[in-house]
Amino acid sequence: MPDHEPMVADAVLGELRQPVPVSATFNARVMRAIQELPHRHGRVVPLPTRSSPRRIRIAFGAVAAGVLAMFALPSSPRAHARRVQFVLVAPRARNVKVVGDFNGWDTSHAAFHAKNRGGGVWSVTAPVPVGHHRYAFLVDDTVWVADPMAPRADEDFGTPNSALLVPDQE
Amino acid sequence: MDASSDADIVGRVLDGDVDAFALLVERYRDRCARYAMHMLGNREDAEEVMQDAFVRAYRALGRCEDPERFGAWLFRILVNRCRTAGARRSRRARTFVSDELALMSASQEHPAERTAWREEIQRALAELRPEQREAFLLKNVEGLGYEEMSEMTGVGVSALKMRVMRACDRLRVLLQEANSA
Amino acid sequence: MRRALRSAAGLLFLPAAAASAQRPALGAAFDPATRAAIQSIVDSARADGLPADALVNKALEGAGKHAAGPRIVGAVRMLYGELAASREALGAASRRDEVTAGAQALHAGAATPDLHALRLAAGRRPLGMPLMVLTDLMSRGVPPETAAGIMDSLVRAGARDADLVAFQRNVRLDVDRGAAPAAAATTRVRGALAALRSH
Repeated sequence: MPDHEPMVADAVLGELRQPVPVSATFNARVMRAIQELPHRHGRVVPLPTRSSPRRIRIAFGAVAAGVLAMFALPSSPRAHARRVQFVLVAPRARNVKVVGDFNGWDTSHAAFHAKNRGGGVWSVTAPVPVGHHRYAFLVDDTVWVADPMAPRADEDFGTPNSALLVPDQE
Repeated sequence: MDASSDADIVGRVLDGDVDAFALLVERYRDRCARYAMHMLGNREDAEEVMQDAFVRAYRALGRCEDPERFGAWLFRILVNRCRTAGARRSRRARTFVSDELALMSASQEHPAERTAWREEIQRALAELRPEQREAFLLKNVEGLGYEEMSEMTGVGVSALKMRVMRACDRLRVLLQEANSA
Repeated sequence: MRRALRSAAGLLFLPAAAASAQRPALGAAFDPATRAAIQSIVDSARADGLPADALVNKALEGAGKHAAGPRIVGAVRMLYGELAASREALGAASRRDEVTAGAQALHAGAATPDLHALRLAAGRRPLGMPLMVLTDLMSRGVPPETAAGIMDSLVRAGARDADLVAFQRNVRLDVDRGAAPAAAATTRVRGALAALRSH
Protein backbone atom coordinates (compact mmCIF):
# COMPACT_ATOMS: atom_id res chain seq x y z
CA MET A 1 0.00 0.00 0.00
CA PRO A 2 1.46 3.37 -0.99
CA ASP A 3 2.28 5.56 1.92
CA HIS A 4 1.49 8.87 0.29
CA GLU A 5 -1.52 10.78 1.48
CA PRO A 6 -4.41 10.90 -1.00
CA MET A 7 -5.34 14.47 -1.68
CA VAL A 8 -8.67 16.09 -1.38
CA ALA A 9 -9.06 19.61 -2.64
CA ASP A 10 -8.06 22.22 -0.08
CA ALA A 11 -11.35 23.95 -0.73
CA VAL A 12 -13.21 20.90 0.51
CA LEU A 13 -11.08 20.50 3.60
CA GLY A 14 -11.22 24.20 4.29
CA GLU A 15 -14.99 24.10 4.26
CA LEU A 16 -15.14 21.01 6.46
CA ARG A 17 -12.81 22.58 9.01
CA GLN A 18 -15.08 25.57 9.50
CA PRO A 19 -17.09 25.69 12.72
CA VAL A 20 -20.70 24.57 12.45
CA PRO A 21 -23.57 26.39 14.17
CA VAL A 22 -24.78 25.01 17.48
CA SER A 23 -28.10 25.79 19.16
CA ALA A 24 -27.89 28.66 21.61
CA THR A 25 -29.44 26.44 24.27
CA PHE A 26 -27.02 23.53 23.86
CA ASN A 27 -24.74 24.32 26.80
CA ALA A 28 -27.69 24.86 29.09
CA ARG A 29 -29.27 21.58 28.01
CA VAL A 30 -26.11 19.67 28.79
CA MET A 31 -25.76 21.22 32.22
CA ARG A 32 -29.41 20.61 32.96
CA ALA A 33 -29.02 16.95 32.04
CA ILE A 34 -26.01 16.72 34.34
CA GLN A 35 -27.83 18.47 37.17
CA GLU A 36 -30.59 15.87 36.91
CA LEU A 37 -28.29 12.90 37.26
CA PRO A 38 -29.05 10.69 40.25
CA HIS A 39 -25.60 11.08 41.72
CA ARG A 40 -22.78 13.55 41.34
CA HIS A 41 -19.12 13.67 42.06
CA GLY A 42 -18.15 14.74 45.53
CA ARG A 43 -21.45 13.96 47.23
CA VAL A 44 -24.49 11.73 47.02
CA VAL A 45 -27.89 13.16 46.16
CA PRO A 46 -30.16 12.36 49.10
CA LEU A 47 -32.90 9.76 48.89
CA PRO A 48 -36.38 10.97 47.99
CA THR A 49 -37.54 10.44 51.59
CA ARG A 50 -35.22 13.17 52.81
CA SER A 51 -35.62 16.83 51.92
CA SER A 52 -34.87 17.09 48.25
CA PRO A 53 -35.91 20.43 46.77
CA ARG A 54 -35.28 19.43 43.17
CA ARG A 55 -37.50 16.36 43.43
CA ILE A 56 -41.26 16.29 43.78
CA ARG A 57 -41.94 16.91 47.44
CA ILE A 58 -43.55 14.02 49.28
CA ALA A 59 -46.99 15.01 50.52
CA PHE A 60 -46.98 12.94 53.67
CA GLY A 61 -44.67 13.57 56.54
CA ALA A 62 -43.76 10.04 57.58
CA VAL A 63 -40.89 8.29 55.88
CA ALA A 64 -42.25 5.88 53.28
CA ALA A 65 -40.64 2.49 53.42
CA GLY A 66 -41.47 -0.15 50.86
CA VAL A 67 -40.98 -3.87 50.80
CA LEU A 68 -40.98 -5.62 47.50
CA ALA A 69 -40.14 -9.03 46.21
CA MET A 70 -37.43 -8.30 43.69
CA PHE A 71 -38.22 -11.55 42.05
CA ALA A 72 -40.82 -14.26 42.54
CA LEU A 73 -40.13 -17.97 42.65
CA PRO A 74 -42.32 -19.80 40.17
CA SER A 75 -44.56 -22.63 41.21
CA SER A 76 -45.20 -23.78 37.66
CA PRO A 77 -42.50 -23.78 35.01
CA ARG A 78 -42.76 -21.62 31.91
CA ALA A 79 -45.49 -19.35 33.30
CA HIS A 80 -45.63 -16.00 31.52
CA ALA A 81 -46.38 -13.95 34.62
CA ARG A 82 -45.90 -14.10 38.35
CA ARG A 83 -47.99 -12.54 41.05
CA VAL A 84 -45.87 -10.00 42.86
CA GLN A 85 -46.72 -8.22 46.09
CA PHE A 86 -45.96 -4.52 46.26
CA VAL A 87 -45.94 -2.88 49.68
CA LEU A 88 -45.48 0.75 50.68
CA VAL A 89 -45.65 2.26 54.15
CA ALA A 90 -47.32 5.65 53.77
CA PRO A 91 -49.41 6.51 56.81
CA ARG A 92 -50.77 9.80 55.50
CA ALA A 93 -51.52 8.74 51.94
CA ARG A 94 -55.05 8.79 50.57
CA ASN A 95 -54.28 6.43 47.70
CA VAL A 96 -51.30 4.50 46.43
CA LYS A 97 -50.91 3.07 42.93
CA VAL A 98 -48.19 0.92 41.44
CA VAL A 99 -47.27 2.18 37.97
CA GLY A 100 -44.66 0.81 35.63
CA ASP A 101 -43.67 -1.01 32.49
CA PHE A 102 -46.00 -3.88 33.33
CA ASN A 103 -49.10 -1.71 33.07
CA GLY A 104 -47.98 0.79 30.45
CA TRP A 105 -47.46 3.50 33.10
CA ASP A 106 -51.22 3.81 33.15
CA THR A 107 -52.53 4.80 36.57
CA SER A 108 -56.05 3.62 35.79
CA HIS A 109 -55.31 -0.11 36.13
CA ALA A 110 -57.34 -1.09 39.17
CA ALA A 111 -55.38 -4.30 39.56
CA PHE A 112 -52.41 -2.17 40.63
CA HIS A 113 -54.25 0.10 43.06
CA ALA A 114 -52.98 -0.68 46.53
CA LYS A 115 -55.32 -1.19 49.46
CA ASN A 116 -54.82 0.33 52.88
CA ARG A 117 -54.13 -2.58 55.23
CA GLY A 118 -54.05 -0.43 58.32
CA GLY A 119 -51.11 0.81 60.33
CA GLY A 120 -49.89 2.87 57.39
CA VAL A 121 -49.32 -0.19 55.23
CA TRP A 122 -50.52 -0.18 51.61
CA SER A 123 -50.23 -3.29 49.48
CA VAL A 124 -51.39 -4.95 46.28
CA THR A 125 -50.57 -8.28 44.68
CA ALA A 126 -50.82 -8.33 40.92
CA PRO A 127 -49.60 -10.37 37.95
CA VAL A 128 -46.39 -9.10 36.40
CA PRO A 129 -45.09 -10.55 33.14
CA VAL A 130 -41.77 -12.33 33.06
CA GLY A 131 -38.90 -9.97 32.33
CA HIS A 132 -37.23 -6.77 33.48
CA HIS A 133 -39.51 -3.93 34.55
CA ARG A 134 -39.20 -0.39 35.89
CA TYR A 135 -41.86 0.97 38.19
CA ALA A 136 -42.68 3.41 40.96
CA PHE A 137 -45.42 4.15 43.45
CA LEU A 138 -47.73 7.08 42.74
CA VAL A 139 -49.03 8.52 46.01
CA ASP A 140 -52.18 10.64 46.05
CA ASP A 141 -51.98 10.88 42.24
CA THR A 142 -49.25 13.48 42.59
CA VAL A 143 -46.05 12.21 44.15
CA TRP A 144 -43.81 9.61 42.53
CA VAL A 145 -41.90 7.47 45.02
CA ALA A 146 -39.34 4.80 44.21
CA ASP A 147 -39.49 1.60 46.19
CA PRO A 148 -36.84 2.27 48.83
CA MET A 149 -36.21 -1.46 49.25
CA ALA A 150 -35.80 -2.31 45.55
CA PRO A 151 -32.86 -1.77 43.21
CA ARG A 152 -32.90 1.63 41.60
CA ALA A 153 -33.51 2.20 37.92
CA ASP A 154 -33.28 5.34 35.80
CA GLU A 155 -34.98 8.63 36.49
CA ASP A 156 -35.04 10.27 33.10
CA PHE A 157 -38.06 12.43 33.84
CA GLY A 158 -36.94 13.78 37.16
CA THR A 159 -38.60 11.21 39.39
CA PRO A 160 -36.97 8.01 40.65
CA ASN A 161 -37.83 4.51 39.47
CA SER A 162 -37.20 1.03 40.81
CA ALA A 163 -36.29 -2.18 38.99
CA LEU A 164 -37.94 -5.57 39.14
CA LEU A 165 -36.88 -8.83 37.53
CA VAL A 166 -39.45 -11.59 37.13
CA PRO A 167 -37.67 -14.76 35.99
CA ASP A 168 -39.34 -17.30 33.72
CA GLN A 169 -38.04 -20.25 35.65
CA GLU A 170 -35.79 -21.13 38.58
CA MET B 1 -12.84 32.94 29.00
CA ASP B 2 -11.51 30.86 31.89
CA ALA B 3 -7.80 30.13 31.45
CA SER B 4 -7.75 27.18 33.85
CA SER B 5 -6.27 23.97 32.50
CA ASP B 6 -8.46 20.98 31.77
CA ALA B 7 -6.88 19.19 34.72
CA ASP B 8 -7.78 22.08 37.04
CA ILE B 9 -11.37 22.09 35.92
CA VAL B 10 -11.67 18.30 36.11
CA GLY B 11 -10.36 18.45 39.64
CA ARG B 12 -12.93 21.05 40.62
CA VAL B 13 -15.75 18.98 39.15
CA LEU B 14 -14.61 15.86 40.96
CA ASP B 15 -14.55 17.85 44.16
CA GLY B 16 -18.21 18.61 43.69
CA ASP B 17 -18.26 21.84 41.67
CA VAL B 18 -20.74 20.63 39.05
CA ASP B 19 -21.04 24.05 37.43
CA ALA B 20 -17.35 24.01 36.55
CA PHE B 21 -18.13 21.33 34.00
CA ALA B 22 -19.81 24.04 31.93
CA LEU B 23 -16.33 25.42 31.21
CA LEU B 24 -15.38 22.14 29.56
CA VAL B 25 -18.62 22.10 27.59
CA GLU B 26 -17.89 25.58 26.27
CA ARG B 27 -14.28 24.73 25.53
CA TYR B 28 -14.97 21.59 23.47
CA ARG B 29 -18.46 22.10 22.15
CA ASP B 30 -17.51 23.51 18.77
CA ARG B 31 -14.99 20.84 17.95
CA CYS B 32 -17.48 18.13 18.92
CA ALA B 33 -20.17 19.82 16.87
CA ARG B 34 -18.01 19.91 13.77
CA TYR B 35 -17.26 16.20 13.89
CA ALA B 36 -20.73 15.08 14.93
CA MET B 37 -22.44 17.24 12.31
CA HIS B 38 -20.27 15.95 9.47
CA MET B 39 -20.56 12.40 10.72
CA LEU B 40 -24.31 12.30 11.23
CA GLY B 41 -25.50 14.84 8.68
CA ASN B 42 -28.08 16.75 10.65
CA ARG B 43 -27.87 19.13 13.56
CA GLU B 44 -30.56 17.54 15.70
CA ASP B 45 -28.86 14.16 15.79
CA ALA B 46 -25.46 15.78 16.18
CA GLU B 47 -26.51 17.82 19.21
CA GLU B 48 -28.21 14.85 20.78
CA VAL B 49 -25.09 12.74 20.42
CA MET B 50 -22.93 15.59 21.66
CA GLN B 51 -25.09 16.01 24.73
CA ASP B 52 -24.91 12.28 25.36
CA ALA B 53 -21.13 12.36 25.05
CA PHE B 54 -20.75 15.27 27.46
CA VAL B 55 -23.04 13.62 30.02
CA ARG B 56 -21.18 10.33 29.72
CA ALA B 57 -17.90 12.15 30.11
CA TYR B 58 -19.21 13.78 33.26
CA ARG B 59 -20.35 10.46 34.69
CA ALA B 60 -17.07 8.76 33.92
CA LEU B 61 -14.89 11.72 34.86
CA GLY B 62 -13.25 9.82 37.67
CA ARG B 63 -11.92 7.39 35.09
CA CYS B 64 -10.26 10.02 32.92
CA GLU B 65 -6.67 8.89 33.30
CA ASP B 66 -5.09 12.07 31.96
CA PRO B 67 -7.29 15.04 32.90
CA GLU B 68 -4.90 17.37 31.11
CA ARG B 69 -6.04 15.71 27.88
CA PHE B 70 -9.72 15.75 28.73
CA GLY B 71 -10.53 16.98 25.24
CA ALA B 72 -9.03 13.95 23.53
CA TRP B 73 -10.73 11.63 25.97
CA LEU B 74 -14.07 13.36 25.42
CA PHE B 75 -13.58 13.18 21.68
CA ARG B 76 -13.07 9.45 21.89
CA ILE B 77 -16.40 9.15 23.70
CA LEU B 78 -18.03 11.28 21.02
CA VAL B 79 -16.63 9.14 18.20
CA ASN B 80 -18.08 6.03 19.83
CA ARG B 81 -21.47 7.65 20.36
CA CYS B 82 -21.54 8.77 16.74
CA ARG B 83 -20.87 5.18 15.71
CA THR B 84 -23.79 3.91 17.78
CA ALA B 85 -26.07 6.62 16.45
CA GLY B 86 -24.92 6.04 12.92
CA ALA B 87 -25.41 2.28 13.17
CA ARG B 88 -29.07 2.61 13.95
CA ARG B 89 -29.63 5.31 11.36
CA SER B 90 -27.98 3.33 8.58
CA ARG B 91 -30.88 0.93 8.63
CA ARG B 92 -33.27 3.68 7.73
CA ALA B 93 -33.21 5.68 4.54
CA ARG B 94 -30.50 8.25 5.02
CA THR B 95 -32.02 11.62 4.26
CA PHE B 96 -29.98 14.76 4.05
CA VAL B 97 -31.82 17.48 5.90
CA SER B 98 -31.17 21.08 5.13
CA ASP B 99 -30.23 22.73 8.37
CA GLU B 100 -32.22 25.91 8.81
CA LEU B 101 -29.86 27.29 11.43
CA ALA B 102 -26.84 26.59 9.29
CA LEU B 103 -28.46 28.15 6.26
CA MET B 104 -29.42 31.24 8.22
CA SER B 105 -25.97 31.77 9.70
CA ALA B 106 -24.28 30.97 6.42
CA SER B 107 -26.41 33.39 4.44
CA GLN B 108 -25.59 36.16 6.87
CA GLU B 109 -21.86 35.74 6.43
CA HIS B 110 -21.33 34.09 3.09
CA PRO B 111 -22.67 34.26 -0.42
CA ALA B 112 -25.35 31.84 -1.49
CA GLU B 113 -22.82 29.93 -3.61
CA ARG B 114 -20.85 28.99 -0.53
CA THR B 115 -23.97 27.74 1.17
CA ALA B 116 -24.72 25.51 -1.80
CA TRP B 117 -21.11 24.31 -1.87
CA ARG B 118 -21.27 23.44 1.81
CA GLU B 119 -24.44 21.43 1.20
CA GLU B 120 -22.83 19.59 -1.69
CA ILE B 121 -19.92 18.58 0.49
CA GLN B 122 -22.29 17.37 3.17
CA ARG B 123 -24.28 15.37 0.63
CA ALA B 124 -21.09 13.78 -0.64
CA LEU B 125 -20.04 12.90 2.90
CA ALA B 126 -23.40 11.28 3.44
CA GLU B 127 -22.73 9.00 0.48
CA LEU B 128 -19.64 7.51 2.09
CA ARG B 129 -19.76 4.32 4.08
CA PRO B 130 -19.80 5.23 7.78
CA GLU B 131 -16.38 3.74 8.50
CA GLN B 132 -14.87 5.64 5.57
CA ARG B 133 -16.51 8.88 6.60
CA GLU B 134 -15.26 8.40 10.15
CA ALA B 135 -11.69 7.72 9.06
CA PHE B 136 -11.74 10.62 6.60
CA LEU B 137 -13.01 13.11 9.16
CA LEU B 138 -10.64 11.99 11.88
CA LYS B 139 -7.62 12.17 9.60
CA ASN B 140 -8.27 15.10 7.28
CA VAL B 141 -10.57 17.34 9.28
CA GLU B 142 -9.69 16.65 12.90
CA GLY B 143 -6.01 16.15 12.10
CA LEU B 144 -5.44 12.97 14.08
CA GLY B 145 -2.49 10.70 13.35
CA TYR B 146 -3.07 7.12 12.27
CA GLU B 147 -1.71 5.70 15.51
CA GLU B 148 -4.12 7.78 17.54
CA MET B 149 -6.97 6.86 15.23
CA SER B 150 -6.08 3.20 15.58
CA GLU B 151 -6.09 3.45 19.34
CA MET B 152 -9.40 5.27 19.29
CA THR B 153 -11.24 3.02 16.88
CA GLY B 154 -9.58 -0.33 17.42
CA VAL B 155 -8.92 -0.57 13.68
CA GLY B 156 -5.44 -1.28 12.34
CA VAL B 157 -3.41 1.50 10.72
CA SER B 158 -3.37 -0.19 7.31
CA ALA B 159 -7.11 -0.56 7.28
CA LEU B 160 -7.53 3.06 8.33
CA LYS B 161 -5.29 4.27 5.53
CA MET B 162 -7.33 2.23 3.05
CA ARG B 163 -10.54 3.75 4.36
CA VAL B 164 -9.17 7.28 4.09
CA MET B 165 -7.94 6.64 0.55
CA ARG B 166 -11.26 5.21 -0.58
CA ALA B 167 -13.14 8.05 1.07
CA CYS B 168 -11.01 10.62 -0.74
CA ASP B 169 -11.43 8.84 -4.06
CA ARG B 170 -15.19 8.68 -3.63
CA LEU B 171 -15.49 12.28 -2.53
CA ARG B 172 -13.54 13.47 -5.55
CA VAL B 173 -15.89 11.60 -7.87
CA LEU B 174 -19.01 12.81 -6.11
CA LEU B 175 -17.94 16.41 -5.97
CA GLN B 176 -16.81 16.40 -9.59
CA GLU B 177 -20.22 15.07 -10.55
CA ALA B 178 -21.83 17.81 -8.51
CA ASN B 179 -19.73 20.51 -10.08
CA SER B 180 -20.40 19.33 -13.59
CA ALA B 181 -24.15 19.08 -13.01
CA MET C 1 -55.69 -23.30 47.15
CA ARG C 2 -52.24 -22.28 46.13
CA ARG C 3 -49.72 -21.99 48.86
CA ALA C 4 -47.92 -18.78 49.43
CA LEU C 5 -44.16 -19.08 49.11
CA ARG C 6 -41.45 -17.01 50.66
CA SER C 7 -38.65 -15.52 48.66
CA ALA C 8 -35.06 -15.48 49.80
CA ALA C 9 -35.74 -11.95 50.98
CA GLY C 10 -38.40 -13.24 53.37
CA LEU C 11 -41.23 -11.54 51.55
CA LEU C 12 -44.62 -12.82 50.63
CA PHE C 13 -45.40 -13.66 47.06
CA LEU C 14 -47.84 -15.92 45.31
CA PRO C 15 -47.64 -18.20 42.31
CA ALA C 16 -49.66 -17.01 39.38
CA ALA C 17 -51.70 -18.57 36.65
CA ALA C 18 -50.14 -18.20 33.26
CA ALA C 19 -51.04 -14.88 31.71
CA SER C 20 -50.05 -13.49 28.35
CA ALA C 21 -48.20 -10.20 28.47
CA GLN C 22 -49.74 -7.56 26.27
CA ARG C 23 -47.45 -5.57 24.02
CA PRO C 24 -47.50 -1.92 25.09
CA ALA C 25 -48.87 0.57 22.59
CA LEU C 26 -48.29 4.30 22.27
CA GLY C 27 -51.99 5.05 22.33
CA ALA C 28 -53.29 8.60 22.18
CA ALA C 29 -50.97 10.10 24.79
CA PHE C 30 -48.80 12.12 22.42
CA ASP C 31 -49.06 15.01 20.00
CA PRO C 32 -48.65 13.93 16.36
CA ALA C 33 -45.04 15.08 15.97
CA THR C 34 -43.90 13.37 19.15
CA ARG C 35 -45.79 10.23 18.32
CA ALA C 36 -44.28 10.10 14.84
CA ALA C 37 -40.77 10.58 16.17
CA ILE C 38 -41.22 7.88 18.78
CA GLN C 39 -42.84 5.49 16.33
CA SER C 40 -39.93 5.91 13.96
CA ILE C 41 -37.47 4.97 16.67
CA VAL C 42 -39.62 2.03 17.78
CA ASP C 43 -39.90 0.78 14.20
CA SER C 44 -36.15 0.92 13.82
CA ALA C 45 -35.67 -0.98 17.03
CA ARG C 46 -38.06 -3.71 15.90
CA ALA C 47 -36.25 -3.95 12.59
CA ASP C 48 -32.98 -4.26 14.50
CA GLY C 49 -34.39 -6.99 16.72
CA LEU C 50 -34.00 -4.85 19.84
CA PRO C 51 -36.52 -4.89 22.74
CA ALA C 52 -38.81 -2.24 21.27
CA ASP C 53 -41.26 -2.63 24.17
CA ALA C 54 -38.70 -0.96 26.41
CA LEU C 55 -38.82 2.09 24.15
CA VAL C 56 -42.59 2.20 24.17
CA ASN C 57 -42.58 1.88 27.94
CA LYS C 58 -40.09 4.72 28.22
CA ALA C 59 -42.37 6.90 26.12
CA LEU C 60 -45.42 5.90 28.17
CA GLU C 61 -43.54 6.71 31.36
CA GLY C 62 -42.81 10.16 30.02
CA ALA C 63 -46.44 10.67 29.11
CA GLY C 64 -47.58 9.42 32.50
CA LYS C 65 -45.22 11.89 34.19
CA HIS C 66 -46.36 14.73 31.92
CA ALA C 67 -42.96 15.29 30.38
CA ALA C 68 -42.69 17.50 27.30
CA GLY C 69 -42.67 15.81 23.90
CA PRO C 70 -39.07 16.67 22.97
CA ARG C 71 -37.83 15.39 26.31
CA ILE C 72 -39.66 12.11 25.80
CA VAL C 73 -38.27 11.73 22.29
CA GLY C 74 -34.77 12.45 23.59
CA ALA C 75 -35.08 9.82 26.30
CA VAL C 76 -36.41 7.24 23.85
CA ARG C 77 -33.59 7.96 21.42
CA MET C 78 -30.98 7.66 24.11
CA LEU C 79 -32.46 4.37 25.27
CA TYR C 80 -32.39 3.06 21.70
CA GLY C 81 -28.66 3.68 21.52
CA GLU C 82 -28.17 2.10 24.91
CA LEU C 83 -30.14 -0.99 23.94
CA ALA C 84 -28.02 -1.37 20.82
CA ALA C 85 -24.82 -0.93 22.76
CA SER C 86 -26.02 -3.32 25.46
CA ARG C 87 -26.77 -6.05 22.98
CA GLU C 88 -23.45 -5.53 21.25
CA ALA C 89 -21.60 -5.81 24.53
CA LEU C 90 -23.59 -8.74 25.91
CA GLY C 91 -23.86 -10.66 22.66
CA ALA C 92 -26.58 -11.10 20.06
CA ALA C 93 -27.91 -14.20 21.80
CA SER C 94 -28.64 -12.33 25.02
CA ARG C 95 -32.08 -12.47 26.57
CA ARG C 96 -34.35 -9.48 26.24
CA ASP C 97 -34.29 -8.80 29.97
CA GLU C 98 -30.48 -8.85 29.89
CA VAL C 99 -30.37 -6.35 27.04
CA THR C 100 -32.84 -4.11 28.83
CA ALA C 101 -31.04 -4.38 32.16
CA GLY C 102 -27.74 -3.79 30.38
CA ALA C 103 -29.11 -0.61 28.84
CA GLN C 104 -30.07 0.56 32.33
CA ALA C 105 -26.53 -0.11 33.50
CA LEU C 106 -25.05 1.86 30.62
CA HIS C 107 -27.43 4.69 31.36
CA ALA C 108 -26.29 4.72 34.96
CA GLY C 109 -22.64 5.01 33.98
CA ALA C 110 -21.28 1.58 33.16
CA ALA C 111 -19.08 1.20 30.10
CA THR C 112 -19.66 -1.41 27.41
CA PRO C 113 -16.45 -3.27 28.32
CA ASP C 114 -17.91 -3.73 31.82
CA LEU C 115 -20.93 -5.47 30.36
CA HIS C 116 -18.80 -7.59 28.09
CA ALA C 117 -16.63 -8.59 31.04
CA LEU C 118 -19.72 -9.65 32.99
CA ARG C 119 -20.82 -11.81 30.09
CA LEU C 120 -17.45 -13.51 30.01
CA ALA C 121 -17.55 -13.99 33.77
CA ALA C 122 -21.08 -15.39 33.78
CA GLY C 123 -20.85 -17.76 30.85
CA ARG C 124 -24.32 -19.17 30.26
CA ARG C 125 -25.76 -17.96 33.56
CA PRO C 126 -28.36 -15.20 33.19
CA LEU C 127 -27.19 -11.66 33.79
CA GLY C 128 -30.47 -9.88 34.52
CA MET C 129 -29.98 -9.64 38.27
CA PRO C 130 -26.24 -8.82 38.18
CA LEU C 131 -26.95 -5.98 35.78
CA MET C 132 -29.80 -4.70 37.95
CA VAL C 133 -27.62 -4.69 41.04
CA LEU C 134 -24.81 -3.02 39.09
CA THR C 135 -27.23 -0.24 38.11
CA ASP C 136 -28.41 0.07 41.67
CA LEU C 137 -24.88 0.41 43.05
CA MET C 138 -24.03 3.18 40.62
CA SER C 139 -27.34 4.91 41.26
CA ARG C 140 -26.52 5.02 44.96
CA GLY C 141 -23.17 6.64 44.36
CA VAL C 142 -20.69 3.81 43.93
CA PRO C 143 -18.28 4.89 41.16
CA PRO C 144 -18.97 2.92 37.96
CA GLU C 145 -15.51 1.40 37.84
CA THR C 146 -15.79 0.16 41.42
CA ALA C 147 -19.31 -1.14 40.94
CA ALA C 148 -18.35 -3.01 37.78
CA GLY C 149 -15.37 -4.61 39.49
CA ILE C 150 -17.53 -5.69 42.40
CA MET C 151 -20.16 -7.29 40.20
CA ASP C 152 -17.48 -9.02 38.16
CA SER C 153 -16.03 -10.53 41.33
CA LEU C 154 -19.38 -11.71 42.57
CA VAL C 155 -20.38 -13.25 39.26
CA ARG C 156 -17.04 -14.99 38.91
CA ALA C 157 -17.44 -16.38 42.41
CA GLY C 158 -20.72 -17.97 41.36
CA ALA C 159 -23.11 -15.65 43.21
CA ARG C 160 -26.74 -16.58 42.58
CA ASP C 161 -29.59 -14.09 42.30
CA ALA C 162 -30.44 -14.58 45.97
CA ASP C 163 -26.82 -13.79 46.94
CA LEU C 164 -26.92 -10.62 44.85
CA VAL C 165 -30.25 -9.59 46.38
CA ALA C 166 -28.78 -9.99 49.86
CA PHE C 167 -25.64 -8.05 48.88
CA GLN C 168 -27.69 -5.20 47.41
CA ARG C 169 -29.84 -5.05 50.52
CA ASN C 170 -26.82 -4.85 52.81
CA VAL C 171 -25.19 -2.07 50.79
CA ARG C 172 -28.47 -0.17 50.68
CA LEU C 173 -28.90 -0.39 54.44
CA ASP C 174 -25.35 0.77 55.04
CA VAL C 175 -25.75 3.74 52.71
CA ASP C 176 -29.11 4.61 54.28
CA ARG C 177 -27.33 4.75 57.62
CA GLY C 178 -24.79 7.20 56.28
CA ALA C 179 -21.97 5.07 54.94
CA ALA C 180 -20.06 6.25 51.91
CA PRO C 181 -21.38 4.17 49.00
CA ALA C 182 -18.02 2.92 47.75
CA ALA C 183 -16.91 1.96 51.25
CA ALA C 184 -20.16 0.14 51.91
CA ALA C 185 -20.00 -1.77 48.64
CA THR C 186 -16.33 -2.76 48.90
CA THR C 187 -16.77 -3.85 52.50
CA ARG C 188 -19.88 -5.90 51.86
CA VAL C 189 -18.44 -7.60 48.81
CA ARG C 190 -15.57 -8.94 50.86
CA GLY C 191 -18.05 -10.63 53.16
CA ALA C 192 -20.12 -11.90 50.29
CA LEU C 193 -17.10 -13.38 48.52
CA ALA C 194 -15.89 -15.03 51.71
CA ALA C 195 -19.31 -16.60 52.19
CA LEU C 196 -19.34 -17.86 48.61
CA ARG C 197 -15.89 -19.37 48.93
CA SER C 198 -16.86 -21.20 52.06
CA HIS C 199 -19.73 -23.03 50.32
